[in-house]
Amino acid sequence: MVVTTRQSDSLFSNGRLLDEDKITKALNNATDLGAEYAEIRLVSETTNTASLKDGKLERAIPGQEVGVTMRILADGAWGVHSTSDIASIADQVAPTLRLAKAVAARRSPSQLAVGLADVPIIEDEIHWKSIKDVRDTDLDTRIELMLAIDNEAKDDEKIVSTSTGWSDEHIHTELMTSEGMNRVWSFQRSLINGMVTARDGSDVVSYRMRHGGEGGLEFIESCDLGEMGRNARISALRLLGAERAPSGKMPLVADRDLTGVYIHEALGHPCEADLVAAGDSCLEGRLGQTIGSEICTVVDDPTMRGGYGCYPIDDEGVDVRPKNLIVNGVLTEYLNHRETAHRYDLDPNGGARAQDGLHHPLVRMSNTVIQGGSHKDLDELIEDIEFGVYACGSRGGQVDTGRGSFQFAAQEAWIIENGSLSRPVRDVSVSGMTLEILKNVDGLTRDAYLGAPGFCGKGQTVPVGDGGPLMRIREALVG
Amino acid sequence: MIPDDAVERLMDSAQKIGNACEVAGVKEWEIFASQGYGNSLDIEAGKISMASGGGEGGFGIRIVEDGRYGFAHLVDPSSAERAIHQALSIARKSPSIEGFELPGNQSAPRVSGMKDKAILDMGPEDLLEQGDQILTRVAELDKRAVAVGGGIGVGAGAGAIVTSSGIEDGGVYTSHGIGIHVSIDEDDQLTSSYEGESSRGLLKDLTACVDKAVHWSQITRQKIAGGETEDCPVLMTSDGFSPLFSVVVPSAIKGERLARGESFWSGKMNEIVMADHLSLVDDGLMDGGMSSGSRDDEGVPSRTQKIVDSGRLAGEIWSTRDAAKLVSEGKVSEAETTGSASRGGHTSPPICGCSDLILSSSSNTHARDRLVEEMEEGYIIHSVMGAHTANPTSGDFSVTTSTILRVEGGEVIGALSQAGFSGNISKALSGRVILGDSSKRKGSYSTGSMHVPDVLMLDGLRINPA
Repeated sequence: MVVTTRQSDSLFSNGRLLDEDKITKALNNATDLGAEYAEIRLVSETTNTASLKDGKLERAIPGQEVGVTMRILADGAWGVHSTSDIASIADQVAPTLRLAKAVAARRSPSQLAVGLADVPIIEDEIHWKSIKDVRDTDLDTRIELMLAIDNEAKDDEKIVSTSTGWSDEHIHTELMTSEGMNRVWSFQRSLINGMVTARDGSDVVSYRMRHGGEGGLEFIESCDLGEMGRNARISALRLLGAERAPSGKMPLVADRDLTGVYIHEALGHPCEADLVAAGDSCLEGRLGQTIGSEICTVVDDPTMRGGYGCYPIDDEGVDVRPKNLIVNGVLTEYLNHRETAHRYDLDPNGGARAQDGLHHPLVRMSNTVIQGGSHKDLDELIEDIEFGVYACGSRGGQVDTGRGSFQFAAQEAWIIENGSLSRPVRDVSVSGMTLEILKNVDGLTRDAYLGAPGFCGKGQTVPVGDGGPLMRIREALVG
Repeated sequence: MIPDDAVERLMDSAQKIGNACEVAGVKEWEIFASQGYGNSLDIEAGKISMASGGGEGGFGIRIVEDGRYGFAHLVDPSSAERAIHQALSIARKSPSIEGFELPGNQSAPRVSGMKDKAILDMGPEDLLEQGDQILTRVAELDKRAVAVGGGIGVGAGAGAIVTSSGIEDGGVYTSHGIGIHVSIDEDDQLTSSYEGESSRGLLKDLTACVDKAVHWSQITRQKIAGGETEDCPVLMTSDGFSPLFSVVVPSAIKGERLARGESFWSGKMNEIVMADHLSLVDDGLMDGGMSSGSRDDEGVPSRTQKIVDSGRLAGEIWSTRDAAKLVSEGKVSEAETTGSASRGGHTSPPICGCSDLILSSSSNTHARDRLVEEMEEGYIIHSVMGAHTANPTSGDFSVTTSTILRVEGGEVIGALSQAGFSGNISKALSGRVILGDSSKRKGSYSTGSMHVPDVLMLDGLRINPA
């Protein structure tokens, strides 16, 4: 293993919250008692959320939360302790070690012991500074920006209500391990969102919008919020009276948001190596195999600055890098953490993320993007479709990774008839099997970028980015 | 698992923060405090993969000044002064709501079954033994079956609320939960099922969940070809129906959403909105209810409230602030709290939410086999993917299921590998509906706890086989 030290800018830092001497002693104590590995990770989050309802301040919540988690690996099994009482963590070494050993004692000879892949042991600080630090943003500014959406969104008598929301956070993490890792990192995220509800008689619909990413106030200010509100209003009004979507197998064209959700659900989750190891992924044993059409290249990239799923260092202290999940249709890489990298004899690629300081790291996605293709634009993608659906905006999705089946839902959609968009439809959902539908991708526009930010649940919730170009699927199950 | 004096400690700290509010000149304040402890284990790939323990907690401060409110949260009571200042600063930027003040102290009924000493006495080793039981049971039931995921957890928490209006209350609650994801992967065909259960008391029979997960993994292996897309009767098991119901219905019964036209039941008070034998009750006083308690999360006594009575919309749920706000805005002529304030913990102010929500029928209810006979032709759905994508404003949903059985001639003839499933919950429940005879709680969600039986819906649903 290599020990490196880096110079870094610490002006952005909160300073150290962990007592380094005390924690070092606790980690040494763990190894003295028989632990193979021990780590203590602290996360301090300075958060601000706010919301408006019909243009009036509904709530604003400033918060400062701290959590710390200790993981101990002993006899090839994990014991974990999490608490918001930072001072008490060092006292939990012996009980947590006992937990790990009790789990290990239940392992049968046929079951693999947990091991960790080697990684460079680094002592450093990395702070991704925002241009406009979220901690300096005042409530008046937040309200003003939310009103920019609201004023445009409500401008029709059929809009019966509007709501807008704000969330920003400064995340400060400290990680110390028994191997000598001692890293501190921090960064910020900002998010603004809204929802409009439109009603015409008994017909009621809603439309959501969201903009966010890694960074400070500058990220929100870079968005044309008025246009966002205006578009949401137009979409909601269009949904009023839109007919129910057709059902059946048909060509589907997805916008960037839906392309992102599709690639996140259908491919990203089955690529998570902890699910592969659990026997819960349809991609088990398929590294190196062709699983998609040759125009599909998919990258998961936590270094894509500005993406909502960015992070400078993963939650095991591993440097992050882009991961090429699929290259020209061939599965080339799993997302992994140190445990799964060891199990499959792979290079750790920085895929460990925890929801906060009170949770242990799992293998997670970051910013997942399908690369652009050769089609010029939407018109070119749909010109030879006789009957199909163009679906836009995400209402979320879900996947059964073991079976390889997935579902995602669109906010709005249009029927494609004879190469042109015809009438709007609503309540479109799309489902399919990962190993079939990836091969059915037969058209991608040239430009690929991140869509709306999202949140991914896997027992823990983490922010993610996803996106891509406009995508055509030859045949998908709609409705 | 939890210190004997946990509640007293929280009350003491909350009172000190309240005193700090007084010093800061705040006349109306509310301190909500929580501290939780727990142990859990994770199951992966047929083995226990991790054991965890820990605790967390903190304080939420809500202050009201001239009908304006501000909120802040903190972990360390010594930083209360800063948090009070933040909350006060926010209150001064908030709109004033005429008539809004923190609820006064009223005597509250006692709700039993909130804690179980057997859980308080459990240690990590007890939990590991339960994990062993579960894994053994899976292997006993079917050699092909593997518990690919899941876990067991026990928790104990202390909560307290202290307000300037004289509310001083606190208590201890416990919980015990299991989730198990079983799959059978044989002959290039994988079937699986996830089952879960939780309780305020010690779960007496952990293996019931395992039995059900293995059963559904087995019976969905007899695949048949999917037919054409059709509008047809669907029997949703309580496990399958509960997640959809929880996304759509709790949102629709909030007084604020009804008043703003954001609910599919807006403007329909006293009108028939469900089949006339169906009733919906929000019970905040259910003994052992996962979302019940003697008071709501702003200290108002809980109650049992009829929402839909024999198909007629008869009630709605309100928190104190929402009620005052909608009256002051002129959206409703009168409204008052129904003891329906809930929080996600100390980090959020109280918002309106349901408690233990019960769907029942005054008509004959039937066992599942009988419901299948009644259906004659259609489908049984035991779980859906994408329940969270349902539209709570309209009630529309379009989800996917891989746990779906085809029924012909009143008998199950096989399983589809996958199908789309769409419709509108509100419309389906206002059509021809027959409920099952088991009203066991199925699922606790951020929106409350759902108590729904099996539901046979005969109208307005569409199945789209893959």
